[in-house]
Amino acid sequence: MLGKTGVIRSWTVIRLPPADFGYQAPYPVVIVSLDGGESIVAQLVDFDEKHLSIGQRVVTVVRRTVQTGIDDVIPYGIKVKPL
Amino acid sequence: MNIYIIGAATTKFGELWGVSPRRLAHQAVTDALSDAEMKPSGIEALFVGNMLSGMLGGQEHLGAFFAEELGLSVPAFKIEGACASGGLALHNAVNSVLSGQYRTVAVLGVEKMTDHKPEDVAAALMGAGSEGERLSGATFPGLYALIARVHMATYGTTEKELASVAVKNHYHASLNPNAQFHAPVTIEQVLKSPCVADPLKLLDCSPISDGAAAVIITSDPSASLRAGKKAVEIIASVAATDSLGLAQRVSLTKLQATETAGKNAYQKAGIEPKDIDVAEVHDCFSIAEILAMEDLGFYKKGNAASVVSRGETTLGIARRLVVNPSGGLKGCGHPVGATGVKQVVELVDQLLGRSGKRQVDGAKIGLAHNVGGSGATATVHILKI
Amino acid sequence: MMGIVSYGTYIPRWRVKLADIARAWKKNESEIVTSLGISEKSVPGVDEDAVTIALESGFRAIQTSSCRPSAIEALFVGSESHPYAVNPTSTIIGELLGIGNSYLAADLEFACKAATAGMQAIAGLIESKHIQYGLAIGADTAQSKPHDALEYTSAAAGVAYLLGNHGAIANLLSYTSYSSDTPDFWRRDGIRYPSHAGRFTGEPAYFAHVMGAAHGLLHKTTCKPEDINYCVFHMPNTKFPRDVAKRLGFTHSQLVPSLTVDAIGNPYSASSLLGLASVLDQAKPGDKIFMVSYGSGAGSDAFLWEVTDKIVSHQATRRKNKDTVKDQLQNKTYIDYVGYLKQTHKI
Repeated sequence: MLGKTGVIRSWTVIRLPPADFGYQAPYPVVIVSLDGGESIVAQLVDFDEKHLSIGQRVVTVVRRTVQTGIDDVIPYGIKVKPL
Repeated sequence: MNIYIIGAATTKFGELWGVSPRRLAHQAVTDALSDAEMKPSGIEALFVGNMLSGMLGGQEHLGAFFAEELGLSVPAFKIEGACASGGLALHNAVNSVLSGQYRTVAVLGVEKMTDHKPEDVAAALMGAGSEGERLSGATFPGLYALIARVHMATYGTTEKELASVAVKNHYHASLNPNAQFHAPVTIEQVLKSPCVADPLKLLDCSPISDGAAAVIITSDPSASLRAGKKAVEIIASVAATDSLGLAQRVSLTKLQATETAGKNAYQKAGIEPKDIDVAEVHDCFSIAEILAMEDLGFYKKGNAASVVSRGETTLGIARRLVVNPSGGLKGCGHPVGATGVKQVVELVDQLLGRSGKRQVDGAKIGLAHNVGGSGATATVHILKI
Repeated sequence: MMGIVSYGTYIPRWRVKLADIARAWKKNESEIVTSLGISEKSVPGVDEDAVTIALESGFRAIQTSSCRPSAIEALFVGSESHPYAVNPTSTIIGELLGIGNSYLAADLEFACKAATAGMQAIAGLIESKHIQYGLAIGADTAQSKPHDALEYTSAAAGVAYLLGNHGAIANLLSYTSYSSDTPDFWRRDGIRYPSHAGRFTGEPAYFAHVMGAAHGLLHKTTCKPEDINYCVFHMPNTKFPRDVAKRLGFTHSQLVPSLTVDAIGNPYSASSLLGLASVLDQAKPGDKIFMVSYGSGAGSDAFLWEVTDKIVSHQATRRKNKDTVKDQLQNKTYIDYVGYLKQTHKI
């Protein structure tokens, strides 16, 4: 799932996060249509304002996702960043 | 076999700090029984619609819980389908009666949400979506915001038009003594409210609420002591499913589950969208009402926003369909599991002509539309008098 | 002969200005910047850590080579900021890179030289014909206590070197190592921030070990600094590498291409690796590169590399992808001190 490219189908910026995403808010969430055909939902990272647009090309990366307890396994997941 | 609704009642919806789920259920069922002029012993089964009792309250097994609470030693079931729990509970209740297994059953939708931190409620509500959505931090407002964004880009729907949904529903709610909100809101107020998930603002979103609603349905109209009085009939009860996650939908501007359930319901009832006089649709967010109006076939895709904005579905102005006279989820409140049942209670009142200031004159056929998650489940009930 | 088959580098885009840090603590901004010789350092994103950074660099190393991930038979990750005290960073990366299961994975720690120790170990595994390809990664999201001197230089980056027994873009001609028990900088288990012994980190620590390893390698290879084209040293600050280069007899122009510290500060385990990558981005076939890392506690690993003609296409690919060290140094977005505290989870 690393390094897969795709295009933003829709975007929003979450300003009221759930408990386990508090430390990252506000953050954009996007739906991406990957070049392979699949569609995923993911956070957008390392972006500028201008990248929040339908049609923006992105690539998948791996980052920490939800915040967990200090003795839990660390969750890593797929996010996307602008190309 | 015909299915009649012989009793219907809701509690007040809102931030009911001092009221427990037990008391909410008690009140709704007792009032529904008294509306049906029926004794509790007449109920043969209990269907409970609820989403969050486990995650927020640590209590599952709600069938047994409420059966005991209500003094009903009958078969009892909790039905869960996120925000469509109420509609699904009713759908299952209808099927149980159609099967001939029971004649008269009660449906209770109940939810207690206000006792918890908003971040915890938001996290619990994300249980309605997919794991991918949870791991991306996509909250409910976020998912509908993603839908709104594409609807706006594709059809030119504006934030002002979205705001008009909230304005209409708050106006309707101001006429509903059971509604959570009683003050009207203006377009300015909606547009100025804090952004929750771009482009949706606080006043585009239905609130966190407590409440319960109950209906008694039967295949035997003489079960009620007021046999001979006109009873509202359920002429279609349909459910449909789509992908759990929003990203996996074929279209981001249409809830396929709604369209499928709607089409099947019209077919079962032998009617068309234009025959509906009053509709209670699932406006968890302003954009959701616009989608519902389109996906239920009331208006063409892309056209509903301007219709609402012109007041054409507002009480007092509308010449055909009135949408969400109760105030909808936005104005009346959205205790998740209760909503699907409350919608039906509102329609029963409308069709029986007892809706007071929010009466839709001459309403004969009503439609209730309940959605789970971002559209993974949809139920449609059509009622007729 | 074995050597570097390809390499990948990753520097997070965020930068905080040293002046902003100084201002927060009411220190003289220009004094700090002038004495340290750096004006900004790299900061990880709030959702980045040594694992994600190591993964990015490993991914890029594999992308710029023709080596299939499954051909990699050893994966060592060196870091001072492994997210787990017990649970390997290396297997998380191995899994996400699609290496399969038939490989030796190990996490290494030795302050800033953990990754170079990994490179020497892999060199041994390849030279003994035990494996054909091995991946060594150095990555850190360096931690420092707010208000401590280290706060001005502790940075974040990751560099991965894919080593192999043929097709190298730079052959490994020779290597040595120098170690002793010298506690100049340490972090106890369970404690969040490191401690250091002030000026003791200089002569008896950095200089003694870097020079010890360097002299050892120069002696072993009978090379002189004038036979060498580039030198790379661990860069805890802008002064030490310049000082040690001079003392060993290298010229400033031999050192300058490696000085990534000037732009982003000290990314600990990635420091000397990043300096080497910066040199490899511009070196010509036949160039010799002398590299000495340093890890507190203390030790130094020294390497003598010789660039081959295969480097040309590797450089071209990195340039095409806009992924050279220079590109990454220049791809930056500034955050303020509060943003820095948030992104490094101090508030």
